[in-house]
Amino acid sequence: MNTYYAANLLVYAAVDIIACIALNLQFGVSGIVNFSFIVFQAAGAYAAAVLSMPPDTASGYDFQIYVGGFQLPFPLPWIGGAIAGGLLSIPVGFVVLRKLRSDYQAIALLVTSIIANTVITNARPFLNGAAGLALVPQPLQDQIDPVSDSYQYFYIGLSALSVVLVWFVASRIVNSPFGRSLRAMRDNEVAASALGKNPVALKMMIFIVGGVIAGLSGAILVGFIQLWAPSVWLYPETIILFAAVIVGGRGNNLGAVLGALLVPVGFEEVTRLLPNQFDLGGLVITPQVGLIPALQWVAIGLLIIGFLWFRPEGVRPEPRRVFEGSPDPSEVELVSTA
Amino acid sequence: MSAPPEKPILVAQEVHRHFEGMRAVDGVSIEVVPGHITGIIGPNGAGKSTFLAVLAGTLPATSGTIIFDGSEITRIPAYLRARRGLVRTFQLPSEFARLTVLENLLVAAPGNRGDSLWGALLGPRYWMADENRLVAQARDLLKRFGMSAKESDYAGIMSGGQKRLIEIMRALMLRPRCLLLDEPMSGVHPRVVEEIQYYLQSLRAGGLTILMVEHELHLVEQLCDSVVVMAQGKVIGSGTMTSLRRQREIVDAYLVG
Repeated sequence: MNTYYAANLLVYAAVDIIACIALNLQFGVSGIVNFSFIVFQAAGAYAAAVLSMPPDTASGYDFQIYVGGFQLPFPLPWIGGAIAGGLLSIPVGFVVLRKLRSDYQAIALLVTSIIANTVITNARPFLNGAAGLALVPQPLQDQIDPVSDSYQYFYIGLSALSVVLVWFVASRIVNSPFGRSLRAMRDNEVAASALGKNPVALKMMIFIVGGVIAGLSGAILVGFIQLWAPSVWLYPETIILFAAVIVGGRGNNLGAVLGALLVPVGFEEVTRLLPNQFDLGGLVITPQVGLIPALQWVAIGLLIIGFLWFRPEGVRPEPRRVFEGSPDPSEVELVSTA
Repeated sequence: MSAPPEKPILVAQEVHRHFEGMRAVDGVSIEVVPGHITGIIGPNGAGKSTFLAVLAGTLPATSGTIIFDGSEITRIPAYLRARRGLVRTFQLPSEFARLTVLENLLVAAPGNRGDSLWGALLGPRYWMADENRLVAQARDLLKRFGMSAKESDYAGIMSGGQKRLIEIMRALMLRPRCLLLDEPMSGVHPRVVEEIQYYLQSLRAGGLTILMVEHELHLVEQLCDSVVVMAQGKVIGSGTMTSLRRQREIVDAYLVG
């Protein structure tokens, strides 16, 4: 295992953890089935890319066409990526979350994801279409040589720092009275509004918070892999994150982290270790190219169904919140029978 | 000599609610006297629950006017009506299943600094004082309703009767000025019915106004100061139970059979 492989693994893990924490806030805590989650990660990635890249007329970059090209120094592209995710959440949330019932919201968001991808693929002058953006500059690459071990450690550190920051924000939200209102809305929206909660405002707020965090995850990823194209944010990517949150435990931040490590990170790595051919006692089977990735999807589907069937609460269920000074039931029972 | 009638706290004028031509509520006008328990009775499908939902804002009125505490509320959304003190409960259990019993009460309480995104981000130090105050308030209620031992259990695993109590307590956490109850006794064990009845009476003694839909006539007779009879979306009579029993057409429509 070399530094590059480790950095690759850890940065992807950080990006997936951040994304899963954001999706957990929206889906696990607030009940918004955001099937367009990956679009907000993509918005952050594209924004960070065009904020850090030189204009598309610069030499070496003139084979692509895109808007922007501001050459902003780190950390502005990352901040811009987060803001882009949040800004995009406003119109999408405004259209989808206000009037539609939650199951229709899920459908509308899935369609949004497909439309967004198709538009970006075909509208080449905007973000270079299907070919996507390449040669995205890496954070502080003029200060630290990106092709060095120390840069890999630096990037791992930056990603880890982002995970800590996002974790901090998410736990403050989940463990607060505000988080309780979100969970109440998730459990029964009509009853929550009869108790003075404004469900549209609550949903919009957490949709935007999730969008900001998703955008940050995209910025981190694009700064590392240095390219971004429609093929990396197809709608099934969202399904993987949903699988992660369901497996990890809906409504539990730690569950989201575990899910991220088990599903997107774990699955990718396990399939990488599969041999190219199987020797079954003399009978050599060489799987068709593309079979393993296809089976990966089957496995993701089975994983979701299996968990929903046998352990719907996930590996780490949402914690039951017991307040200080809660009476011990057995004690109360004793008093009342005495 | 009786005192001059008090100004009604809740007024509905010619309220309609139609579902694609079906007139579920067809021009209902009522006035709710503050500090009274007012009952709404009527056969199934009379539009009682729909009317209550329209009053609370769960369903918008097709036409008509609703006035609460002197100001018109016909067009404002449910959550703002609740914040003004007009709070409803539901006919079907509507607990927050994956919140504990105590949390079900806490979530309803207004005035918690941590109940906003910014408050949450500022952290527990910013809102802990509010939280502690409201926990104490919620525990008082739980004690009064005899459910202290259940505070840390999920509301979703409570019995039907306990869910009813949770719902009433939850509504009370808002410190409502007028409570709209949709069949608070349905599906509840007779002993719990007696308890709920007792609590409602003590709430009235404390000055709370209650408008309730109820099927059990003997309960209505014992609890309600006045009664509105609805049938086919219209009010067909109102007054005390005793006076209603004397009216031939009402007896025919509902009180017998």
